[in-house]
Amino acid sequence: MSRQDATLPFRGDVEIRLRADASSRAPALVFFSTALVWLLFGSIEGTLASLKLHMPELLTSAGWLTFGRVRTAHLNAVNYGWASLASIGVALWIIPRLVHTELRWPRVAIAGAVVWNVGLVIGIALILAGRNDGLEWLEMDRYLADPFLVVGGGMAGVTLLATLLARQSGHLYVTVWYTIAAFLWFPVIFVIGNWPTWTGVESAAVNWFYAHNALGLWFTPMGVGAAYYFIPKVLGRPVYSYQLSILGFWTLAFFYALNGMHHLIGGPIPTWMITTSVVASVLMVIPVLAVAVNHHMTMVGRFGALRYSPTLRFVVLGAIAYTAVSLQGSFTSLREVNRVTHFTHWTVAHAHVGVYAFVTMVLFGSMYYIVPRLVRREWPSARLIQWHFWLVLAGIALYIIPLTIAGGFQGLALLDPAVPFQRSVEVTLWALVSRSVAGVLLTAGHAVFAYHFWLMVRRRGPTREVPPFHEPVPIVYERPEAQA
Amino acid sequence: MSRTWLLLLGAAATVGFAAIVLVGIPQVMLVKIAAPPELAAYTDLEARGRAVYIANGCVYCHSQQLRDPAFTTDVELGWGSRATVPADYVYDRPHLLGTMRTGPDLINVGERLPSASWHLIHLYNPRALVSWSIMPSFPYLFEEREPGDVRPGDVVVPVQPPYAPPAKVIVATPDAQALVAYLLSLRRTYPVPAAGTGAMRGMSRMP
Amino acid sequence: MLPSSLAVVLTGLGLGVGALAVFAWSWRRGLFDDIPAQADLVFDERDNRLERPWETAEQKEERRRRYGELIAPEPGEWGGAV
Repeated sequence: MSRQDATLPFRGDVEIRLRADASSRAPALVFFSTALVWLLFGSIEGTLASLKLHMPELLTSAGWLTFGRVRTAHLNAVNYGWASLASIGVALWIIPRLVHTELRWPRVAIAGAVVWNVGLVIGIALILAGRNDGLEWLEMDRYLADPFLVVGGGMAGVTLLATLLARQSGHLYVTVWYTIAAFLWFPVIFVIGNWPTWTGVESAAVNWFYAHNALGLWFTPMGVGAAYYFIPKVLGRPVYSYQLSILGFWTLAFFYALNGMHHLIGGPIPTWMITTSVVASVLMVIPVLAVAVNHHMTMVGRFGALRYSPTLRFVVLGAIAYTAVSLQGSFTSLREVNRVTHFTHWTVAHAHVGVYAFVTMVLFGSMYYIVPRLVRREWPSARLIQWHFWLVLAGIALYIIPLTIAGGFQGLALLDPAVPFQRSVEVTLWALVSRSVAGVLLTAGHAVFAYHFWLMVRRRGPTREVPPFHEPVPIVYERPEAQA
Repeated sequence: MSRTWLLLLGAAATVGFAAIVLVGIPQVMLVKIAAPPELAAYTDLEARGRAVYIANGCVYCHSQQLRDPAFTTDVELGWGSRATVPADYVYDRPHLLGTMRTGPDLINVGERLPSASWHLIHLYNPRALVSWSIMPSFPYLFEEREPGDVRPGDVVVPVQPPYAPPAKVIVATPDAQALVAYLLSLRRTYPVPAAGTGAMRGMSRMP
Repeated sequence: MLPSSLAVVLTGLGLGVGALAVFAWSWRRGLFDDIPAQADLVFDERDNRLERPWETAEQKEERRRRYGELIAPEPGEWGGAV
């Protein structure tokens, strides 16, 4: 075997892993706990917003209940609350594991979580009160809320950087590149996006430079990086082609950052900018297929593992969704397709394939693996895991499939001058209702997961007779003689 | 150079390159756009109305941009006489181009629906005027008064039953009036400003 | 002011050539010599030797040959309750 550390005794391996987990335990749990609170809040706001679109008289009496604020609270809660906080929690656990080094300055990371959450509360409260910066994905007040996110995220980022620089292992696994790059990318684009001086169409270009890169340079690397860790880890099989993962990372970094203007196709933006983004969007098939090939070929012959591992179920589903949403994105950025889909619910459905079917599923799978290793217990109930999985799977399917179809019909109706605008609204109603049903299922699934997580951290639930696997069991270990 | 710094340098380079291409260069180009002489800056009332538009999330259902007639049918649908160009938005900070048409495009709504009363009723309850509408009602932008409580200068909204509560008068708050003033200011019907700099070349053709 | 497309092309070339130079230099310095081994960073000894119930007999035999005697999995091993 050609591993650098092949001489390390088995007991030492366990010790490294235990120490890494102990160091990231408190910060990761703080990030996960607050992430789940925002997931629940965001799910309720999202379901409420969905209901309002086909029941417009529902709860209209006060400003903080109007669709335009509830929807915005939902978006910010699930993106900057759930998805971001859970991603950071995963990163804080994975990096010490991968560099065989305890997390440096864990208290700084915890403080970062507090700071970030303070910013979120301020930002979302202000949105509900009617104070909104006016830019999609950047609504939280740039002076009163956003600085908290930059500082809090930065605090988590520097602990990871310090851990990296203090590391014991020479190489950096691909997950580390994705994660560290994401921590650099997010503050850069966030500050650019929130800068107060942009005006007119430049404001639009910057808006979508930011918003697309929030997906492509923050959530995607965190999600893809986690999948590159958990799929091989659970299977006990290395990534199919590490060279392909290097290619995938750098082409993602280069192309994804240029995609943003595909949100403005046809708009009052210089043509060359839109063309650049369309070309970059199509070229994204290179890194996306690199990742897809890698994950598939690593899984091939071992799909039976999905029966045994909820982590793998969620993460593989997420990885498949990543491929699907990215190919859909490349397709949608073609002008002739965009002509139909722009301004319709197709885009909303697409966004949820990305942030939910991809990012959120990967985060669920990651947490199913990580949390037992933090609290040193197993998940108490296989039933609750099943409920969670099937509720959210049914929910997201009921969301994205009808809404994508309806969005297509909406777009076709919008294109035809002989068809009144009314028709474009009517063809979507069935899908809007389906989405509300989906919202209820998703919220229920999240409640199940949050409850199960609470059982874990509160050490409730059944105990096991067999000691959990992460306790160091004293084993007398003889290295077999005949090794190639 | 260690791998960590190499990684950070590479990541900084890729995002830096994209920022130069999509933010830096356009900024240099687009600051040259002059305001069209026919386009007035927003008055204080209209600016306040624009803030109300933002605060209540109107942008999430309404766009404010029309695409080239060679590309698609925005103009043919009756939403304006021409495609919109960068010069149309010089006074917009932030932009409100929008990404959804759950409701119609609004960049020329002041031209298409020039009646303040229409907008006030519509905001109070869209279904009073458009039976199939899914737009939310905004009753909190209005006050319900007893008939005797109306003062001179109050803007009374002629909402017909059954959309108005019986025996009550609906009066528009300053926020509602400002919002309507903003909506009425939305018209971009003047001819396209001459494409001056080379940077704007190609704007009139298919994007 | 340069035509914008020229500026884009020049910046792209500059950064692209620069990137390739860094890449080539890293290659020379041996940063890519042990690529397959880097893929194994994820595993420790236990990951390699864990017996996985979904593996076929041949797959288990291969694992036994490469890493040694297999270890039995514990309850909840792969992220879920038993």
